[in-house]
Amino acid sequence: MGDFILFDKTAQLGKGYIIAFANRSQMLYFILFLPKFLEMPYSLLGILAIGILSQINLFILSKCLSSKYTQQGYQGFADLLGRRTLRIIAFAGIAFIFIKMSLIILGYAEIVHQFIFPAMQLPWMILFIILLSTYIASQGMEKTLRFGIIAFLCTFWIILLYIPYFFPPGAELHDLYPLIPTDWSHNPWKGILMVWSSLSGPEYLLLLLPWLNSKQKMLRYLSIANAISILQYLLLFLGCLFFFGSTYLGKIGFPVVNMIRYLQSPVFERVEIIMISLLMFHYVFFISVLLLCLYGAIRISAGTQDKETTRKGFYAVCLLVLAGVFFIQSFYWREGKELNGWANVQLWSGAFTYLLIPSLLLAATKIKGRGSSL
Amino acid sequence: MFWKKKSKRVRHENKEGNQLFQKSKDLSIAAVKGLISNMDDGELIEHRINKERNITLIFIRTLIDVERLNESIIQPLKNCSEDMIHTCIASVKAGALSSLDEAQKLMMLGHVLLDDGKGRWWAVPLVNTLGRSIEQSEAETILYGPKDSFTEQIDQNITLLRRRLPVTELKTEKFSAGYLTKAKVVLMYVEGIANPDIVDIARKKISKINIDMVIEQSNLAAFMEDHIHSVFPQFQQTDRPDQCAYSLGLGKIVILVANTPFALVAPITFFHLFQSPEDYIHKWMVASFLRCLRYVSYLASTTLIPLYVALTTHHYQVIPLQILFVLLESRSKLPFSPFWEALFMLLILEIIKEASLRMPSKTSTTLGTIGGIVIGQAAVEAGFVSKVLIVLVGIAAIASFLVPNYLLSKTNTLIQFAFLILSSLLGFPGIVFGMIYVLAHLNGLSSLKQPYFAPVAPLYWRDWMDFFIRAPIPWMKKRPAHVHPLFKWRYNRGDDH
Repeated sequence: MGDFILFDKTAQLGKGYIIAFANRSQMLYFILFLPKFLEMPYSLLGILAIGILSQINLFILSKCLSSKYTQQGYQGFADLLGRRTLRIIAFAGIAFIFIKMSLIILGYAEIVHQFIFPAMQLPWMILFIILLSTYIASQGMEKTLRFGIIAFLCTFWIILLYIPYFFPPGAELHDLYPLIPTDWSHNPWKGILMVWSSLSGPEYLLLLLPWLNSKQKMLRYLSIANAISILQYLLLFLGCLFFFGSTYLGKIGFPVVNMIRYLQSPVFERVEIIMISLLMFHYVFFISVLLLCLYGAIRISAGTQDKETTRKGFYAVCLLVLAGVFFIQSFYWREGKELNGWANVQLWSGAFTYLLIPSLLLAATKIKGRGSSL
Repeated sequence: MFWKKKSKRVRHENKEGNQLFQKSKDLSIAAVKGLISNMDDGELIEHRINKERNITLIFIRTLIDVERLNESIIQPLKNCSEDMIHTCIASVKAGALSSLDEAQKLMMLGHVLLDDGKGRWWAVPLVNTLGRSIEQSEAETILYGPKDSFTEQIDQNITLLRRRLPVTELKTEKFSAGYLTKAKVVLMYVEGIANPDIVDIARKKISKINIDMVIEQSNLAAFMEDHIHSVFPQFQQTDRPDQCAYSLGLGKIVILVANTPFALVAPITFFHLFQSPEDYIHKWMVASFLRCLRYVSYLASTTLIPLYVALTTHHYQVIPLQILFVLLESRSKLPFSPFWEALFMLLILEIIKEASLRMPSKTSTTLGTIGGIVIGQAAVEAGFVSKVLIVLVGIAAIASFLVPNYLLSKTNTLIQFAFLILSSLLGFPGIVFGMIYVLAHLNGLSSLKQPYFAPVAPLYWRDWMDFFIRAPIPWMKKRPAHVHPLFKWRYNRGDDH
């Protein structure tokens, strides 16, 4: 067996990767049931508003990404924050990464369970997903990020399947009213928070910066990705409103998946089974990246980042993740309820990381810059 | 413990193997005579010049051109004066010999060893160029375009390439591979276009080959591939000189091996294996359509039967009602589950394919008829397989023949079986698991250290001009980026290196 190198770098990845990564990271699990929590047509404006806030956040993130500290990878972060602080942050990061990863795995496994194999036990699906992700991640960060393009190409067109829902026979423009809220009996804040949390993900680019070409116009590509994501959110929400209507939308589980079930095709029925299967590309890619980030975070917090990566160490981390996900599935995961306790944890943690990490890091960069110039 | 013992033994054998070929370095008549002892085709001719002096010729009769021996050496020597021997045979480029090793090596390559009677030895090249003439390619036939193909004569193959690329930048580097076969290996590239790093990788890989025999190009490829456990070929193997010349012009390297009519081309990508020489002969829209058809066919050949198994085992609800009726009627009396039914048919198909390859061409037609009609129809009538599956197996089999690269087309058999098992276990998600695994594997492969799944991963937008579609040739102004050519423009536009 040859050397087991996970974090080497032979080439820098270009704009396509940045756009694909940022966009796909904003189209993960929450989007599949987001319309249920948005429910009312005026939430369209909420999506737009959060999209603008996300754009401002991405502006801050792009500033961080172009900072001389972040571009140096681990060494830069150590210079910026200090080794001790960095180890503490990395240790805390393990929890955030694990929460995100476990939600994606459990969420996807539940969808497969609910829509494709009701008789199959959830742990089998979890095992298969982690095995596949481990294989992809074991090829190293560079190849895993490259796989992102394959995942993007295999899934981005799924949005086109929703086009027929804009022209259902019974739909009318009235279904989109009221665009401005007239009564506040429906509490939209959870939905709005979910949009924000769902848009989180691009902040992980901070961890991938050594593999990206830092000379590029980050803000431009992040803005393109964000705009595409917001457009997709709007399209999916509009489609759901037309198809289910706002009254029924709040009662249906996974409306974005359920809607596809009714797609008419001369060759296949129940197209959602095929769509869910293909979504695996997307989820497995992200789990692989998160596995590598988790392994890296564990190495930093253990202070072994300068040692070579080992097969044993990496597989041990993957086994721990597997055990952890099994544990959460047994004790904290409630099937049949999209926003269960664990999903709620990710809802807040995702919103927290997306809001605070870029801002805090930029602040730290400015303070450090000011300190060094004095 | 056992491993250690085994490795010791192997080392011991290698030592003996090396000793087998170690001989005295002294170049003398007795030593050279010793070289041809117990060789029926080893010849020794002595020609007396004067009373004290004999000229001795030693050679292997079957390796040299005997007619030229007469014309070039024996006749000139008859009329040669005592001190003019070297001048007499100058027309055939005689080279002086200094060691027995050198003499042995050259004699086995078709040289005549000549002792001038004064202890000086010469090697005169009279290589027997026996071999078949240039014929039409059988592995990659095309209707319009050049018909010639490589032969077993390596020099002839180099000539075919030099005629197509008559530039001094076309470099040839000679190597020898296999301590028994001493096969001549020639590395070819266009200096100034091919990336020196890639040439260097190839050079190092060839130099490192340490084995007794390199009989044909696949032996060499096995040592040069970056990932030996992958089912996917990491070198293009072609017998078409036009293909090789085109690849050289794009900045790739070509490796020729003596006594084999196939060349190795690298670095390649997975998508190159779907390209046919005819793509550049057809009009671009036709070529693009045909190319897309090949990708679809490859996908169909690997997934069609697993899809059938997934649908009939796990996802009946996906099939529209009208088709479901046909399927249920077809499967109603079968004793096997869809998985066993499909496995049985695929195994039969592979047996027929393999048998038809090994049989003489006239018999293989009969075999095809028996296999296709008799076994297929009989299996349906006997109630072993459904009619729908027979149709799908037929489509999948024909689809697999659309891939121009034979080595790639054989990989789909293994993939198909793996997908079949996954689909029977997990239905559609199982097939997608398999697809993700294959794509991740392809993404991790490399050919001479260059990414195998380019131009998709890594993304090289420029190369998409010659990928799913084949853009009009005047639009393809740059060489493929994944090859990292030194000179990227295909048009003469100054010094943009």
